[in-house]
Amino acid sequence: MNPGQLARARQVAPEALQPSWRRRLINWALTVAAAAAFVAMCVDLQLAPASVLSGFGKLGTFLANSMPPSDGGDLPRILVALAETFAMALAGTVIATLVALPLGVIGAKTVVGQPVLHFVFRRSLDWFRGVPSLVWALILVSAFGLGPFGGVIALALADIPSLAKLFSEAIENADEKPLDGVRAAGVSPLMALRYGLAPQVVPVMASQVLFFLESNFRNAAVLGIVGAGGIGFELEERIRIFAFDQVVFIIGLYMICVAALDMVSQSLRQRLA
Amino acid sequence: MSETSSAVTAFEALRRQTLRRQRLQTLAGLLIFSAILLISFQRSQFFSSDIGDDPLGRIGEFLNRMIPDLKGEALLADSRTEGSLAWWYYDLPRWLRLGWQTVEMAIVATVLGAVGGLLASFLCARNLMPIAAVRFTVRRTLEAIRTLPDLVLALILVAAFGAGPLAGVITLAVSTMGSLGKLFSEINEEVDPRQLEGMRASGAGYAAMIRYGVVPQVLPNYTSYALIRLEGNLAGAAALGIVGAGGIGIELQRAITYTEFDTYLAILLLIVGMIFLIDIASEAIRHRLIGLGESR
Repeated sequence: MNPGQLARARQVAPEALQPSWRRRLINWALTVAAAAAFVAMCVDLQLAPASVLSGFGKLGTFLANSMPPSDGGDLPRILVALAETFAMALAGTVIATLVALPLGVIGAKTVVGQPVLHFVFRRSLDWFRGVPSLVWALILVSAFGLGPFGGVIALALADIPSLAKLFSEAIENADEKPLDGVRAAGVSPLMALRYGLAPQVVPVMASQVLFFLESNFRNAAVLGIVGAGGIGFELEERIRIFAFDQVVFIIGLYMICVAALDMVSQSLRQRLA
Repeated sequence: MSETSSAVTAFEALRRQTLRRQRLQTLAGLLIFSAILLISFQRSQFFSSDIGDDPLGRIGEFLNRMIPDLKGEALLADSRTEGSLAWWYYDLPRWLRLGWQTVEMAIVATVLGAVGGLLASFLCARNLMPIAAVRFTVRRTLEAIRTLPDLVLALILVAAFGAGPLAGVITLAVSTMGSLGKLFSEINEEVDPRQLEGMRASGAGYAAMIRYGVVPQVLPNYTSYALIRLEGNLAGAAALGIVGAGGIGIELQRAITYTEFDTYLAILLLIVGMIFLIDIASEAIRHRLIGLGESR
């Protein structure tokens, strides 16, 4: 680019080669303000370097204490707790599926065509989706006492709105033509649903349910911390008494279970697809 | 004639056999599933647990206790009058302060986690990190972080850093790093390689290549993922308070402990409102970024 071309380029697009001072000033001011706000927040949260360092020091001690991991002679109990966590996840998922199925059918635009009803229904589901399972669990454990029962209901309650929404989307996305074809052959409405709609939506729904089973297994581990039993309870107990060799053992076992469940559900999903 | 009919007979026999096998498989699958389900319900004490009689009535009573008895005529009176709004939200200044602390925790953790995720994402993107061993290690680490539930990490960090927002910020930053690191590396792998080749041809070093070749392509996507994550972190920060990691969750826990269920509802509404506001703000920022991207 020779000087003549450069001058012309400056004339045509002044901002491209050198942003105006005003613009640069504004950019700098915004950057500085954002950095200042970040530092102010850190100060307000008392994130002092000294406490960070001492915390990491303690974390190092925990880690040193946790080697080698051990089951603390309580392996059967840990395995039972893991099974209990999986049982909570499965029971919660099945209940959520059973409740979400009719809700999903009602929520589908192709089933309930009335726009106002559809809007109100969908919005109310949206509101409930904002409440995480932990918040449900806190309420339910205090209502039903300690134990997995409250956890199962909490998982189900947290899943129902999302599953219902996904189900109704699956129904809306289904192709009408097979349904029309089966109807044209003169079968009963129930048979039309069975052979016209179900083959299209059941695989989609089943794979979503499997996804929820996976995520519920993770959530169920957390619910134990607020008193819903299972592996979360065992973990919390051991963290409280600083038995980190057992904590690391349980976390390792739990991660293996999560990976195994993910693998099983992935292969099931692939068979469905 | 006889040839056709025998072919039909053979087909019919095959069909019957296939159908029978399929039905048997389905039946076996159903049996196994029901057995697992039965054991699950039994283990989770779903039907056997002693939850007292009349569970539906108890839920009803519970909901009833969650709804405050507001009185129409005293709605705007001060906090000592029973039935006023101020009486329901009797500790509002403290909750607002803790709510703001929750927002700060979410923002600081998202920034720290995004920076960490950014560094990790360059180390595990196939087109930017030539050493396979580094890529593998970073990827597996991020995966392990994502498997660990936030609350478990928070419990451990509260034990190390003491109760307070510091433990919560580190928890959220670590889990943000786990998820954003993965998402960012996927964005990195979709970077247009021609610009990188051009820079390499003109003799740019690794740092310059990333700054001028990669960052301009990926920044809008990064920001949008980070903002979505900010929304999630706010809900996460509200929950972490339950185990003492700072923020408004501690008040939720306190309300439950003292069986002040109407207070629980008050704080829950406050949290939902807070999440709603952050949602709107981050959506506005995201749309502006996308709009800017289009006008270029």
